[in-house]
Amino acid sequence: MKHIGRAQTSLTNRQLAAGKGVFVSDIQRHDMTHMAVVRSPHASARIVSIDSAAAEAIPGVVKVVTGQEIKANMNPIFEAYDTEAMGAKGVVSYALCPERVRYVGEAVAAVVAEDKYTARKAADLVAVEYETTPIVSNTKAALEPGSPLVEPDWGDNILITRDFVKGDPDKAFADAEMTSSDEVYQHRYTGAALEPRAYMAEYDPYTEQLTYWASTQNPHPVRVFLAETLGIEESSIRVIQPHVGGGFGLKTPTFQEEPLVAYLARSLERPVKFVSERTEDLLVGGHAREMRLSYDVAFTKDGRITGFRAKVVADVGAPSALCGWGMSFVCAYSIPGCYKIENANVKLFSVVTNKCPWNAYRGYGKETASYLMDRVLDDVAAKTGRDRAEVRLKNFIPPDEFPYTQVSGANLDSGNYPGTLKRVLEMIDYEGFPARQEEARREGRYIGLGIGQELTPEGCSMPRSTLLGGYDGATVRVNPSGQVTVLTGITSPGNGNETAIAQIAADSLGVPFDQIKVIQGDTDICPYGLGNYSSRSVIMGGSAVQIAAKDIRDKMLKVAAKMLEVSADEVEVEEGQFSAKGAPARYVLFKDVASTVYRDCHGVAALEVEPGLESTRYFQHGNVYHQPETQGRFSAYPSWPNQSMAMIIEIDPETGHFDILKYCAVHDSGTVVNPLLAEANLHGGFLQGVGGAAHEHLVYDDDCQLLTTTFMDYTCPTAMEVPFFEVEHQETLSPFTPLGTKGVGESGVAGALSGLCSAIENALPHLDLRFTDLPLSPNAVWNAIHEAEEKRT
Amino acid sequence: MKKSIEVTVNGKSQSVEVDTRMVLADMLRENLRLTGTHIGCGTGSCGACTVMLDGRTVKSCSVLAADADGRSVQTVEGLSTSAVSLHPVQEAMVENQGLQCGYCTPGMVLSAVELLNKNPDPTEDEIRHGIAGNLCRCTGYHFVVTSIQAAAKSMKEGA
Repeated sequence: MKHIGRAQTSLTNRQLAAGKGVFVSDIQRHDMTHMAVVRSPHASARIVSIDSAAAEAIPGVVKVVTGQEIKANMNPIFEAYDTEAMGAKGVVSYALCPERVRYVGEAVAAVVAEDKYTARKAADLVAVEYETTPIVSNTKAALEPGSPLVEPDWGDNILITRDFVKGDPDKAFADAEMTSSDEVYQHRYTGAALEPRAYMAEYDPYTEQLTYWASTQNPHPVRVFLAETLGIEESSIRVIQPHVGGGFGLKTPTFQEEPLVAYLARSLERPVKFVSERTEDLLVGGHAREMRLSYDVAFTKDGRITGFRAKVVADVGAPSALCGWGMSFVCAYSIPGCYKIENANVKLFSVVTNKCPWNAYRGYGKETASYLMDRVLDDVAAKTGRDRAEVRLKNFIPPDEFPYTQVSGANLDSGNYPGTLKRVLEMIDYEGFPARQEEARREGRYIGLGIGQELTPEGCSMPRSTLLGGYDGATVRVNPSGQVTVLTGITSPGNGNETAIAQIAADSLGVPFDQIKVIQGDTDICPYGLGNYSSRSVIMGGSAVQIAAKDIRDKMLKVAAKMLEVSADEVEVEEGQFSAKGAPARYVLFKDVASTVYRDCHGVAALEVEPGLESTRYFQHGNVYHQPETQGRFSAYPSWPNQSMAMIIEIDPETGHFDILKYCAVHDSGTVVNPLLAEANLHGGFLQGVGGAAHEHLVYDDDCQLLTTTFMDYTCPTAMEVPFFEVEHQETLSPFTPLGTKGVGESGVAGALSGLCSAIENALPHLDLRFTDLPLSPNAVWNAIHEAEEKRT
Repeated sequence: MKKSIEVTVNGKSQSVEVDTRMVLADMLRENLRLTGTHIGCGTGSCGACTVMLDGRTVKSCSVLAADADGRSVQTVEGLSTSAVSLHPVQEAMVENQGLQCGYCTPGMVLSAVELLNKNPDPTEDEIRHGIAGNLCRCTGYHFVVTSIQAAAKSMKEGA
């Protein structure tokens, strides 16, 4: 292997750095129109009437469409999950609401116009009369008897529940030496990719073909969803994914505007483009995280956990076709994470309210599970007077006990948690920190060290889901020139997986890296695949490429052997050259073998092989099972990367402001195909973790009106809020993938959540702080400090 | 309402008819097809639309196109002459993985160019301050900062 494991810059860098990338909003088509959306100002209301006369009177307006037309002409939006297979409640929702709205911003009408300014102006003139209905504004209210119902047909406001049990928790608590209980809260925030969502559709009535450009992570599933929702054939739709300006999960289908644009392009027979404004993206582009988690923990005096109970109550917003609510399931599914607890019970209540629906966001619930467990372990450490790291080391699943079945039925493939934690403690000089802290204290400075432990299962595969499956496809094609084209079903939202794919292909075929061209994101060209989510691209797509490349290599080995007049098992290939083993001077070039297959198929060397050098293969992950055993348990995540992080912060107790001085992490995702891009991804995860821990917050008032609708009030961290990151990799290989890969993309978003809590607590030991609510905004920290100071006096 | 303006874009003087409601970013993207200038927020908060106006960076989503009348604009497209000869800041981004999805990159590059024009040898803090108006959601800024450090070094050596 030559290219796997090599730091290689991304293949897309030059084009994108030059500003020559092509995003959906950059594409213009002849006779193109623009769509603007009329959105509900109410969180819960019945639509009484819609008067579009004023909008239609404006010159340049092409069409005004309402929910009634949509309901008459389209199917409900196809659900990303098979809710029935999950034991969840499903929902019937349309591209425009025909009768009622369930959250602020839900689309009720749309205007198509010759330019975007006219479309926006006309949309503002569409007069919608509403009759407001009672609002369900939070989970507490939603669960009260007699609460109004977000979905009247459901009978209650619960989307899904689970009750996972292992061992005998009641006995563990009865026998416990010590116990503790607490509740932690993870606030609502989101990924906020810098490129807002954008879709464009063009219909050719002569060929009856719909071409659809989307800022999406999942072109093939989008095609299925469009076909199902529009009631047309998949083969009549081509979905193209141009460059995508960040996804982070948020660009997984299906939003209302996606089928709406397609419908309008077909009915108008003109191209229709929709580019979301930032406010629209913050309002309806998918939210995440809002969960309240209570726990009871039983443990020995030396800090070994003997029993655990957790209850997850998630505010998933209004139900929708999106896959976001699944994050609540995955949160419960991932508890108790890295820890071996023989007696445990995890309960899940996914609750609907009149807020924006969740959509997938990097972490997908695992970050909240990690946050909970870190807070639990810190609690146990504090109660027993033991060191935080020591308590974690005492409770980790031992490295020799994998595969390990967790409480939820999750099958953890492999891991060495003590390895990453011990190494990160060395990196941050954990032993030497108290002396450093003492010295800083003498200078009047308050510094603190926090640690966080992440477990981020990857490669999500949910029962009967069109979107979330544990497989993917790839085509490897060696051209007559010997150049290689790789087509994948996985896609890149800008994270560089095409580069890792090229590295895998180069090694698997035995050709130089620069001979590989990777093509992604076009349903007419690429093999069927599920695209990018759950850090699956290298796990699933990379493995498929490796299998397909092996087909081609085996075939070319036979031909090369004939050309070299040796047997096939005596030939090896590397960097574009087939040579006789042990006699490297005796070789034929890769390109000459390719040429022979294509141009001399009846010649001696190629006569016995089938013409052509192309293979399409699928990789199916082995560590998934969907046949529920007891408690409805199934294994949805095949791959379990993990990470230990540690940070040092300095805080000003006068203001609550803190700076992160040092941030170290040791990450383990098995084989690292490209350490540079893996590290780059991790850096982004760290930033989003810090953003979530302290800066980003989607704030609703009691009427479920979103108060943070621009980047002026939804504050993303800048370069000023983070330091350089120090990253090392540990490689505990997955036994279930050909290369031992596990997935990188979501690691990093969790550690800072509790890491920052514990760092601030550690900086001010005299105050005996305990943070259980995020975000740690300066005023939240300031309030906590002042409350603690008042208590002391 | 339409208005005709005279504007120099990437060194080329031209007359453009603009809607008076139109912002500079839209004029560049739609009228002139210079789509390297991206729009991320529309409120001047994210910096993806950063361009130079008379040699100083502005957020072009928050400048009316009509206000560019008689002035000079430089966009990311004006920084390089071909795919193989990018500006040293862009080359440094390419070589040091100073980008991922590339959506914030043109604006980030222009902020870095302005910074290095004013301060050829910035400290890490000065670099972070210099790009504080440019949000990036992918990189954690780490390789953006190291790219700008590398660019400063190569520009000094090239000077």
